Amino acid sequence: MEPKKIVLPESEIPRQWYNILPDMPTPLEPPLHPGTGQPVGPDDLSPIFPMPLIEQEVSQDRWIDIPEEILEKYLIWRPTPLYRAYNLERYLETPAKIYFKNEGVSPAGSHKPNTAIAQAYYNKISGTKRITTETGAGQWGSALSFCCSLFGIECKVFMVKVSYNQKPYRRIMMETWGATCVASPSDETEAGRKILAENPDSPGSLGIAISEAVEAAVADEDTKYSLGSVLNHVMLHQTINGLETQKQMALVGDYPDVIIGCAGGGSNFAGNALPFVRDKINGKDIDIIAVEPASCPTMTRGPFAYDFGDTVGMTPLLPMHTLGHSFVPEPIHAGGLRYHGMAPIISQLVMDGLIRPVAISQLETFKAGITFARTEGFISAPETDHAVAMAIREALKAKEEGKEKTILFNWSGHGLVDMAAYEAYLHGKLADHELPSEEVERALKDIEPLPKPKQAQK
Amino acid sequence: MEKSVEPPGDDFKIRCPRLGHQIFFSYCVIESDGNPCFKILDCWHQYFEVETYLKTHLNSEQWDKLVNRPPKPKVLSLVELIEQAKKRKKEAE
Repeated sequence: MEPKKIVLPESEIPRQWYNILPDMPTPLEPPLHPGTGQPVGPDDLSPIFPMPLIEQEVSQDRWIDIPEEILEKYLIWRPTPLYRAYNLERYLETPAKIYFKNEGVSPAGSHKPNTAIAQAYYNKISGTKRITTETGAGQWGSALSFCCSLFGIECKVFMVKVSYNQKPYRRIMMETWGATCVASPSDETEAGRKILAENPDSPGSLGIAISEAVEAAVADEDTKYSLGSVLNHVMLHQTINGLETQKQMALVGDYPDVIIGCAGGGSNFAGNALPFVRDKINGKDIDIIAVEPASCPTMTRGPFAYDFGDTVGMTPLLPMHTLGHSFVPEPIHAGGLRYHGMAPIISQLVMDGLIRPVAISQLETFKAGITFARTEGFISAPETDHAVAMAIREALKAKEEGKEKTILFNWSGHGLVDMAAYEAYLHGKLADHELPSEEVERALKDIEPLPKPKQAQK
Repeated sequence: MEKSVEPPGDDFKIRCPRLGHQIFFSYCVIESDGNPCFKILDCWHQYFEVETYLKTHLNSEQWDKLVNRPPKPKVLSLVELIEQAKKRKKEAE
């Protein structure tokens, strides 16, 4: 019997995080302070972050030791299992091998405690008594609440009011771990009171919630703020995932050709992918794909044809389902919206061609999530379904091309408190729309002169 | 199927990639301090003619802000929030 789970012994848990900053082909530009025009320095951030995290934010050390106190807490759920998705492979009748790293086994149900543990620890040793943060549905808020409870730190979560009212279970999880969860805007901060004075019925927003969380940290020197994504130190802490995965792949004598993760702010993607990006920088041939939760018209309605992989026709011709290389949905054109809110490390690696971004529509992701649940059993968080959908695409591509490939994706969390989204999908409340035919015809004219792949000529 | 030029009502919700749960259009259109969320075109493009709708209902400044606002690095946003919070703290004292 082939092993289903590749389990790393606790004694083999990585002892260092991997920091990609010194290996990046294009170094990140330091952000400039809007007031002084000088690079943002430690003093600018010290009102809200403890110094060890600020140091990690700018560190150029490739490897950073994980303190024993953090390792001890990681062992509650780490190392996480790497699974071989045999059932999904059989269902898809693909020659590809599909692996997924299960980050949903943490107490909070996602990858987020990987950094929450570290942030709680560094705050603890820096004398912080209370940590504030903002949250929407509560995935980050619950992760931080859990980790603060392990280190005896108070946690206050400003939860966007519309989410607070809609997502009671995550809120109750936070409270179970001892956090205080308040609906934002609240009357606890000047920022919140100002909003409420103007609009008592304000449903809140992440922008308001973060203003409140930062203000609460600035107002009290024993209080700091914590962010669950985007920042360099968050990416750093998450790399324990990919470092474990490398050891697990080595245990079965395999190595991925394709690595996939969903990318909202970038942290779960970075966690699994960055150690492999290092391998790619050092010469490994890997396709590393960041899947974005964007609702753009899917390209799969186009014919299977040779086309360029980019909009300017610079890449080699590739057989693909395409609407023509000139077709880019309009919202993607619009002013760099696509990378708004993405971790600078990930954005830069995309620009350097080390990571390939792909956008997948909401309906395709839910379809993939259902397929995954009915083959591998696990119900994915809707964000995680983006990675599942891309893995299925790649597995089907391998089938079409008759290639054996090793596909690895990061299963970043379960969706057991996100069932309303599945209900909407299963009950047909998320309707699909066809593209206007004239738009499709215009786009396809571009690929008319190009050669046709054999499969398209059948 | 032709896409509607009118937004769906509050009984129709789609997943918000930022909040992490289902949300209705009338929230997205006021999410950012009374202005649309920066993801609104991406998220609603598939369900109705959101671009046409917003071009009709936003003034030129709001539309320009929505589509041409350059992304701000997170660290800078935090520094700005810290400065604002310090100012509010001073005013309160």
